[in-house]
Amino acid sequence: MAKKSKAPGQRLSSRQQSSQKPLTPRRWRLKLVIGGAVLAVALGVGGLVRFLQQRDLAPRLQGTGDKHYTRGTAGAPVVIKEFSDYT
Amino acid sequence: MQRFEGQVQLVFYPFALNPTSEVATQAAWCAGEQGKFWEFHHMLYRRQELWNRLAAPLERLSDFAKDLTLDTAALKSCVESGRMQDRMQADKAYGQQLQVSSTPTMFINDYRIVGTQSEGELVRLIRQELNRAQPQGQ
Repeated sequence: MAKKSKAPGQRLSSRQQSSQKPLTPRRWRLKLVIGGAVLAVALGVGGLVRFLQQRDLAPRLQGTGDKHYTRGTAGAPVVIKEFSDYT
Repeated sequence: MQRFEGQVQLVFYPFALNPTSEVATQAAWCAGEQGKFWEFHHMLYRRQELWNRLAAPLERLSDFAKDLTLDTAALKSCVESGRMQDRMQADKAYGQQLQVSSTPTMFINDYRIVGTQSEGELVRLIRQELNRAQPQGQ
């Protein structure tokens, strides 16, 4: 008796299935790893930019002109600089 | 401010965003020459709706100055002379250097705050900075 030939749309044998099944999770894992890496890089760059801005800010904040109206105590540990528009 | 007597200093930088505000800023400094900067400053906010839509608010601001018993002629001539322009531009440039693009913007030491904050939030941030500047037990 001749063996049945497999039609193109036929189900895969259990062996084929077992050899292909892990591919999908592996692909997902790869995508997750790449996505995670991209996210980590983006967060890292964002954090670095923020850090550099803040680091830069400190010396610039010290450059207070002396012709300003102030309240409170000169030389206080906390200095608040307020930039406000009257309108 | 009273709550943090001796621990906090506020430095005010008028940051004029339009020509009307520029006149008000200069008027406040001119009032300061007569020793009434803060009084004028508070009045500008209190009566904001009466002048902030005027293209040329100096007349109205001079009327306010009268209420503070300021020399209004001196105030007007001070603003019109333009001698506060440099000061105003310098503050604006300083704000831009600190990347101030909207008001109010505050810096509590190095910590930037953009937008209006509740009093509670400000108190919390000041305390946080005080704790950093003066660690417990020192």
